[in-house]
Amino acid sequence: MGKPDLIIETRALRRRFVTHKPLVGAQTEVRAVDGIDLRIRRGETFAIVGESGCGKSTLARLLVRLIDPSEGSVIYDGTDISRISADKMRGLRRDLQFIFQDPFSSLNPRMTVGALVEEPMRAHRIGTRRERRARVAALLERVGLMPEHANRYPHEFSGGQRQRIGIARALASGPKVLIGDEPVSALDVSIQAQVVNILEDLKQEFGLTLIVIAHDLAVIRHMADRVAVMYLGEIVEEAPVAELFTAPRHPYTEALISSIPVPRVGARAGVATIDGEPPNPIAPPPGCRFHPRCPYAQAVCRAERPKLTRGPDARSVACHRHAELSLTGLAPDIAARSPEAEQRFSLYRAARATREGAKPSGSFPQPLTPDKE
Amino acid sequence: MPEDAPLLQITDLSIRFGAAATNLVDGVSLSLDRGETLCIVGESGCGKSLTALALMGLLPTPPARLMSGTAMFEGRDLLSLSLQELQNVRGDRMAMIFQEPMTSLNPALKVGEQIAEAVRRHKGVSRDAARNRALDMLQKVRIPAPEKRLDEYPHQMSGGMRQRAMIAMAMANDPALLIADEPTTALDVTVQAQVLDLMRQLQDESASAMIMITHDLGVVAEMADKVAVMYAGRIVEAGPVAAVFENPQHPYTIGLMSSMPSLGDRSGKLVTIPGIVPPADAMPEGCRFVSRCPFAQPGCALAPPMREFDRGHAVACWRAPLETGVDAPSPEIAGAA
Ligand SMILES: Nc1ncnc2c1ncn2[C@@H]1O[C@H](COP(=O)(O)OP(=O)(O)OP(=O)(O)O)[C@@H](O)[C@H]1O
Ligand SMILES: Nc1ncnc2c1ncn2[C@@H]1O[C@H](COP(=O)(O)OP(=O)(O)OP(=O)(O)O)[C@@H](O)[C@H]1O
Ligand code: SF4
Ligand SMILES: [Mg+2]
Ligand SMILES: [Mg+2]
Repeated sequence: MGKPDLIIETRALRRRFVTHKPLVGAQTEVRAVDGIDLRIRRGETFAIVGESGCGKSTLARLLVRLIDPSEGSVIYDGTDISRISADKMRGLRRDLQFIFQDPFSSLNPRMTVGALVEEPMRAHRIGTRRERRARVAALLERVGLMPEHANRYPHEFSGGQRQRIGIARALASGPKVLIGDEPVSALDVSIQAQVVNILEDLKQEFGLTLIVIAHDLAVIRHMADRVAVMYLGEIVEEAPVAELFTAPRHPYTEALISSIPVPRVGARAGVATIDGEPPNPIAPPPGCRFHPRCPYAQAVCRAERPKLTRGPDARSVACHRHAELSLTGLAPDIAARSPEAEQRFSLYRAARATREGAKPSGSFPQPLTPDKE
Repeated sequence: MPEDAPLLQITDLSIRFGAAATNLVDGVSLSLDRGETLCIVGESGCGKSLTALALMGLLPTPPARLMSGTAMFEGRDLLSLSLQELQNVRGDRMAMIFQEPMTSLNPALKVGEQIAEAVRRHKGVSRDAARNRALDMLQKVRIPAPEKRLDEYPHQMSGGMRQRAMIAMAMANDPALLIADEPTTALDVTVQAQVLDLMRQLQDESASAMIMITHDLGVVAEMADKVAVMYAGRIVEAGPVAAVFENPQHPYTIGLMSSMPSLGDRSGKLVTIPGIVPPADAMPEGCRFVSRCPFAQPGCALAPPMREFDRGHAVACWRAPLETGVDAPSPEIAGAA
C-alpha cells in the first residue's frame, strides 16, 4: 500500500472560544476543537460524528477556514491555509465549498435562486454571463429542480428543495472538496434519501471529496468510507466505516452504536447503554474526557489523557484500555429483513424503475474554465 | 363500561384550519388497549401532533376546526368534554409529554414544586405527601441527587434532565394514558436511548398505555406494540408492530422503509419516494399518495378505504397486496364519485 493521497490534513488543530469575560479575573473559554490530527484522502467520503456540542461544526468551519484556528494548521493540497492571506484564501474558496444544515437561513431570501447559484461563479470570475446562466440551468436540473426555478425566490421552495439549491450553489464553482455540516439532518426521511443520492451521484461524477458531519449514524453508515468519532473537542476513534460499526474500539463509539434505534423489531432489546450526558465543555474532566461515563474506566483513565494512536491496520483510537477490551458492535445481520418485506421492496424498486424509465436522467454539466486567474 | 372495551377508541377524527377545504387530519380511527404502546409514525406535517393535541383538548380552536370524530376514553368522549372536565382528566388520567420540555415546565417554578402541585391538584393530598411523591418520581426517572434537584429551576438542568423531569411530572398521578409527542427527537442518541429505556420501564411498572409520536422507524421498532403509519393526514397502514415491519403493505410504508439508510453493508443507492407531499390546497381527492406512488393507477383517484386483511393489520391501498397485482377500481367509478 502506497502513501495515501491526502487532500486535507490537520495538525494539532485547536480552536478556543471565550465564553465569559469578567472585568477582573480569568475569562472562561471553551476548547471547542482541542488538538485534532486528521488525514482526509482525495476522493473519499469522510464523516465526522459525535454528540451535540462536541465541536463538529467548529472543526468543519476550520477545515475550510470559515473561522481561524487558535493553534495548529490545516493543509489543503500542500498549502497551509491557516497561514495564507485572505486574498489567496479567496482563490482557494473555489475548491472548498460548504453546505449548511439549515436550508432556511443559509440562502439570502432577497436573491433569486438563479442569482444564488450564479454568485460563486461571478465571485471567481468563471465563464461569461451567458455561460454562467447555462450552467445555472444545468446545475438546477442536475439536483432535481427545473431551469425555470432560477427566477423564483428561496421561500417558494420546500426544505428539501432549498437544500438542493444549496448544493447547486456549492457546486457552481467546480469545487474539489464539499463539506456538509448536517446537510440532510433537517430533512424528512423520504426527502433525505433523495438528497443523499444526489450527493453521492455528484461525488462520483465530479470526483469530489466529501466531508460529512452528521449525528444520524445510519446516514453515516450509508455514505461514509471512513469515520472520525468526536467527543468533547477530540477525536477518540477513526476507522473505515464497516469496521467502526461492527467492531468499535473506543468505549464511546460502542456506546453510540449501541444507542442507535434499529428499525427491526427486537433488534436492540437488552442492549446496555451508558449513563449520563456529555459534561460541560468549559471544564472537561481530567484524564480521558469520557471517563465519567465510561463503563470500563480505571485509575489511569482518571489521571492520564490518552493519545490518539494509529494501529497497524489504519485504525486509530484514544483509549488506555483499547488493547484489552473487546467491545460490541452491530450484529452482522442487523439489516436482515423478512422474506415478505424483501419481496415488497423489490416490487417497489421495480415499479419505481419502470416509471422512472420514461424520464431520462440528466448528466452533469462540465465545469467551466475561468476567464483567467 | 365493559371490561374488554379498548382504553381509547378514536373514530373518524377530522381536523381542518379556518376556511381551508382540506382536512389536515382526515378520518383517523385508532384504538388502544390498557398498557399498550401505539406509535404514530409519519413525516413532518402529516398531522401527528394535531391528532395528539385534539385528544388532549389542546387544539387551538379557532383557527382549528374539529370536523368529525369521537375519542372514547374511560367512558367519555374526550372531544366533547367541557374545559372543566378536561382539566380534571389532564395531568391525572391522561398526560402528555412534548419534544420541548419547556412546553410543559414552568420556568419560574422549582421542579419539585411543579410536580407536587400536579399531584395536589388531582389527588388532594397534603403538601408533604405531594413533595414526597415528587421526590419519589425524580428517583424513578433516575435523576441523580433527586433531593437537591427538587429545589432547582428547569433552566439549571441539562436537556436530558429536563426531559426526565417532564416525564416525572406526567407520570406522577399514574395516568392510564400517556401521549408522548417526539419525546426524544431533540436528544443526543445516547441520551435518547436512556430516555426510551426509562419510558419503557416506567410504563411496565405503571401499566399506562402510551401513544408515542415519532418520525423514526427505529424508535417505533423499539417501543411499539402497534403502529399507525400516517401520510398527509390519513392513516395508510396500521397493525401490530412486527406485522407492519415484516409484512409492510402500503406503498408509502414500503417507500419509507426503503428510503432509510441501512445499518448493514451498503447495498447501492437508496430507493427513494419521488416528489414531495402535495400542499394542502393541492391535495389529491382520492388516495393522497397517488402523486408519488409507483403503483398508482387511474382508479386511485378514488379514496381507498382502510381494509383489514390480517388480524389487526389494515391498509388503505387499492392495489394491496401488491404481488397479486390487484387493480384499482376503474376510473369511471372513480370519476363518478
Ligand atoms: N462562536 C462561538 N462562541 C462561543 N462558543 C462557541 C462558538 N461556537 C461554538 N462554541 C462552543 O463550542 C462547542 C462546540 O460547538 P460546535 O457548534 O462546534 O458543536 P457541534 O458538535 O457542531 O454541535 P451540534 O451537534 O449541536 O451542532 C460548544 O460548546 C459551543 O457552545
Ligand atoms: N395553527 C395552524 N394553522 C394552520 N395550519 C396548521 C397549524 N398547525 C398545524 N398546521 C398544519 O397542519 C398539518 C399537520 O401539522 P402537525 O403539527 O400535526 O404535523 P406533524 O405530523 O406533527 O409534523 P412534525 O413531524 O413536523 O411535528 C401541517 O401541514 C401544518 O402545516
Ligand atoms: S391506492 Fe393507488 S396510489 Fe394509493 S398507495 Fe395504493 S396504489 Fe398507490
Ligand atoms: Mg453543529
Ligand atoms: Mg409534530
